[in-house]
Amino acid sequence: MKSRVLVVDDDTALAEMIGIVLRGEGLEPIFCTDGDGALPMARTHQPDLILLDVMLPGKDGVQVCREIRAESGVPIIMLTAKSDTVDVVLGLESGADDYISKPFKPKELVARVKARLRRTEDPGPERLQVGDIDVDVTGHTVTRAGEKIALTPLEFDLLVELARKPWQVFTREVLLERVWGYRHSADTRLVNVHVQRLRSKIERDPENPEIVLTVRGVGYKAGTPQ
Amino acid sequence: MPGLSSLGSSLAGTLRRKAAKVRLVLIRLARRATHAFRASLRLRIMTSALVMGVLAVAALGLYLSTSVRDGMVERRLEAIDSESAALTANAEEQFQSSVVMDEQQAQQLMSSVAARILQSASTVEAVFLVHPTGTQPQVSDVIIPDSMGTQQRELLTDELRRENSELREREATNEQVMQFTEVRDPVRDEVTPGVVVGTSVQIPQAGPYEIYYVYSLQPEQEILTFMHRVLGTGAAFVLLLIGLITAMVSRQTVAPVTRAAAVAERLADGHLDERLPGATGIDEMSTLSRSFNAMADSLQQQIQQMEELSKAQRQFVSDVSHELRTPLTTIRMAGDVIHAARDQLDPAASRSAELLSDQVERFEILLADLLEISRFDAGAAVLDAEQQDLGDVVTSVVQMAQPLAENKAVPISVDLQRPGNSVADFDPRRIERIVRNLVVNAIEHAEGRPVEVTVAHDAHAVAVVVRDYGVGMTVQEVEHVFDRFWRADPARTRTTGGTGLGLAIAHEDARLHAGRLEAWGRPGRGASFRLTLPRRAGITLNSSPVPLVPDSHEPAVTTDQIPVVHPPTGPQPTNIPDLEIH
Repeated sequence: MKSRVLVVDDDTALAEMIGIVLRGEGLEPIFCTDGDGALPMARTHQPDLILLDVMLPGKDGVQVCREIRAESGVPIIMLTAKSDTVDVVLGLESGADDYISKPFKPKELVARVKARLRRTEDPGPERLQVGDIDVDVTGHTVTRAGEKIALTPLEFDLLVELARKPWQVFTREVLLERVWGYRHSADTRLVNVHVQRLRSKIERDPENPEIVLTVRGVGYKAGTPQ
Repeated sequence: MPGLSSLGSSLAGTLRRKAAKVRLVLIRLARRATHAFRASLRLRIMTSALVMGVLAVAALGLYLSTSVRDGMVERRLEAIDSESAALTANAEEQFQSSVVMDEQQAQQLMSSVAARILQSASTVEAVFLVHPTGTQPQVSDVIIPDSMGTQQRELLTDELRRENSELREREATNEQVMQFTEVRDPVRDEVTPGVVVGTSVQIPQAGPYEIYYVYSLQPEQEILTFMHRVLGTGAAFVLLLIGLITAMVSRQTVAPVTRAAAVAERLADGHLDERLPGATGIDEMSTLSRSFNAMADSLQQQIQQMEELSKAQRQFVSDVSHELRTPLTTIRMAGDVIHAARDQLDPAASRSAELLSDQVERFEILLADLLEISRFDAGAAVLDAEQQDLGDVVTSVVQMAQPLAENKAVPISVDLQRPGNSVADFDPRRIERIVRNLVVNAIEHAEGRPVEVTVAHDAHAVAVVVRDYGVGMTVQEVEHVFDRFWRADPARTRTTGGTGLGLAIAHEDARLHAGRLEAWGRPGRGASFRLTLPRRAGITLNSSPVPLVPDSHEPAVTTDQIPVVHPPTGPQPTNIPDLEIH
């Protein structure tokens, strides 16, 4: 089955171009040209991924992202013409999984889209433990003492990546490559923001993390199972 | 005795040390006082007012006491002069009217006359009748009262007696000699100022005798002492008053100045709404307040204008960015799609697709650089600093530049000196950009000769020098090398690409870190670029850990050597399972 990608962009030329590229990769694009229509479209068509422009008529991309994220964990990639720190961080904090700065190459777009769509299912059931958290990789659920914690697919992938090798310290660059699919070193703020978001959901005290630990000057590692 | 001498020398040493310590303490105290004096306007005003006050009061007191004393003593001396003259006339009369047979009777007469004088004149302390020739006290001398006899030598000085004898020789018998002296009261053992008045009298059967009266100036002394006490009390009171007045006045004048200084400081700290109170009056202080506030208003207005301008420019940059980038993205993607399908096109269209793709990329880089520069100009560039090792950044940049270096057959070497020690707070994205720019530039201008990259550090700074031995630059070219769109040789550099903004951005990036980017070059000898970064924010750079101008103009490695990169030694973070967790 073809993966469905919702492209939210007011620039019809760019949207059409993106559609051409995505179709070339065997994906099924659907289009929305303003911010107000994005949420209803996402509800009715249940896309597998959303490409979201930041500057939109009607609601802006950050707002749309926040609304979609409130009811769905669908992967969201922001298309941003601004690479200024504040804008990028604002986009990521509103719940976007990744962002691509305009102008971008078709290959780059495809790589990011595929990285988000990729669901590498391991054969056989796999259960992991980090701190007092149980991760059911196959069932795609995270529980603490039997209580389910809702994570977006990206946050889940990030946690699984760390939890599979609790003895290893991951640099931000390595995480970017494994979780986001970047082949070159890119913006490590992505990792910082998502680690913060993950912590806010799974840590008892996000100020004093026990699940995702910071190794100063190096990166992150998973906490020891309890 | 060696023991004793050593004891002495050790004692001397102790004393010297003690003296040195005391001197140190004194110097420190003096310094502190000087500092307090220089730091406080009020203290200075009060000190000078008090010093002037003391001088004025002292002068006044001196004048008053001197003139009162002189006036008083003068009048007293006049009185003493006429009284003693009268006493002498009286005594002379008594001597002449008495009948004296021999010297013994004369002696008795002298005693009785002197006693009577002492009785009749209460202010006379003593009467001396002295034989004129004797320098030593004579048996025939009469001294009333007897107790003053011991003071004869002190009271009747040689000078006094000489003057008296001169009077006698001139036969000026109605004149008197006078001298100030000190009279000691033998009973109470008190010394009081006094006056000795003398002249001569004719004594029957005994010839001329010198007669002296001793007067005490005790009452005058007492009045003067009393007056001094009153004056002293008055002076102290006046000085106290001066001190109080000065303190009050200086408070009134200095306080607004202090307040103005405090407000100015708040303004300088960015609290632009701060104003001086009391601007409604008509005095000087109110004028100061008004002018100050007017200045602050104008300052605030200017700053706000600048802020608005800067905001407008940032907004413009942001808008341009968005407006340009969206169509550029479409062009880019379309170009890439066409480029990917160029095999199906005819040769002309295929080549066009290639050119389109390349030039779109160039356009993209140029746009990115332009936006970066305008961010610097708008003051919107943000430093995203973290602790990093400059050596790591340099190593990764050189590794990435390796394909280019091999393509141009340029050997490139990295000297990390002591790896892992070049840790500083910097924005890795910006610093990587600077280093990449320098390294790529060096490779492009090296003309096949080696490029040397050296990382160095000291306590305050880390630095990297990128040196090539290629075409080099003239001194004029070095001056312009960081200018925007400046190219050393337009014809040549155009082919190798680059926007002409790379070094300008690198320079701005370095400045954002409070660091320095400097260039050196000589035609034919190559060029050298040095980036120096402070280890932490707040460190001011005065020097760099490594020289910009190289000692040698010959490469350290021979050109035929294979490219060398010293990898950073030490553990690779991802491979170490039991790393210490902070």
